[in-house]
Amino acid sequence: MTPIDRPPYSVEETTIIRKRQAARARVMGFALVGLCVLFFLITIVKVGGAN
Amino acid sequence: MTTATRDIILPAEWRDFWALTKPRVMSLVVFTALCGLLAAPGSIHPVIGFTAILCLAVGAGACGALNQYFEADTDAKMARTSGRPLPAGRMDRESALHFGIGLAAFSVGIMGVAVNWLAAGLLAFSILFYAIVYTIWLKPNTPQNIVIGGAAGAFPPVIGWAAVTGDVTLLPVILFAIIFLWTPPHFWALALFMKTDYGAAGIPMMPNVKGQKSTRNQIFGYTFPMAATAVLPFVLGQTSWLFGAASVLLNIVFIALAYRVWRNDTTDAMAMNPEKQLFAFSILYLFLLFAIFAFDRMLIL
Repeated sequence: MTPIDRPPYSVEETTIIRKRQAARARVMGFALVGLCVLFFLITIVKVGGAN
Repeated sequence: MTTATRDIILPAEWRDFWALTKPRVMSLVVFTALCGLLAAPGSIHPVIGFTAILCLAVGAGACGALNQYFEADTDAKMARTSGRPLPAGRMDRESALHFGIGLAAFSVGIMGVAVNWLAAGLLAFSILFYAIVYTIWLKPNTPQNIVIGGAAGAFPPVIGWAAVTGDVTLLPVILFAIIFLWTPPHFWALALFMKTDYGAAGIPMMPNVKGQKSTRNQIFGYTFPMAATAVLPFVLGQTSWLFGAASVLLNIVFIALAYRVWRNDTTDAMAMNPEKQLFAFSILYLFLLFAIFAFDRMLIL
């Protein structure tokens, strides 16, 4: 369903949607930060091993 | 995304994506893989070891998501699974499919780049085996579904081992065989007292197809090769007496519980205490056997 043909949301529904989107964004943010740290550490280990 | 009370589409919660990964199954996968990794000869950098286990966990999550994508209709017919995100209508199927494929690609790719490509190949094979061979082909078509499909659940310790050594020798194959032979008594004990649930969903589990007596015979029959395989690491001199003694003790209890199942002839699920006890003990059995195996190997290596 595209944004154009979405039915209008009530205030309560909009609140729920925003809350869920924010929670998902937070989880995704934590996951991405964790992956950055992991990739950094893997790189250090691999480069260190190669040397 | 999911449909709410009046055709309003709401985004699925992150908890529903988490539920798609079957966290309880994932925890057993992580545990057996960790045991394989710790028991392997040689050393692995803690960061690479952590990455290997993380990839295995994510790969197991991918299996869970793809399994729930393919089985959404079946899950809706069973009380045990009807509350999952897809049958409960909290998420659309496309999201589950994309999530599962994304997790699978991520786990295999990172495993290959950071750990080694043998472990990545085994992980990819086990994901495809579980999602396609077991879920789509075996499960809805044959009562041998969990026998052959049990191979998918038996891969994690082999992958953990391969992550350290870069090869697969006899000992990880024995670990594979232990889980492979443990799966039928474990799942058929569950299937006996959940027979109605599986029957309602049209899944040809052994009790529904061959009957309870035949299932009980096969449960008891499988415990002997399983027990023989479980003591093999000690017999082959790959562990100390600690694992040997623990293995013999655990197998005696397992066989005794399986014997009670074999002797039981009730058809009433409420009266299937031996089956429930065997199912519960089988989880403890695998946990203890692998924990003691890994501990023993760490002591002698």
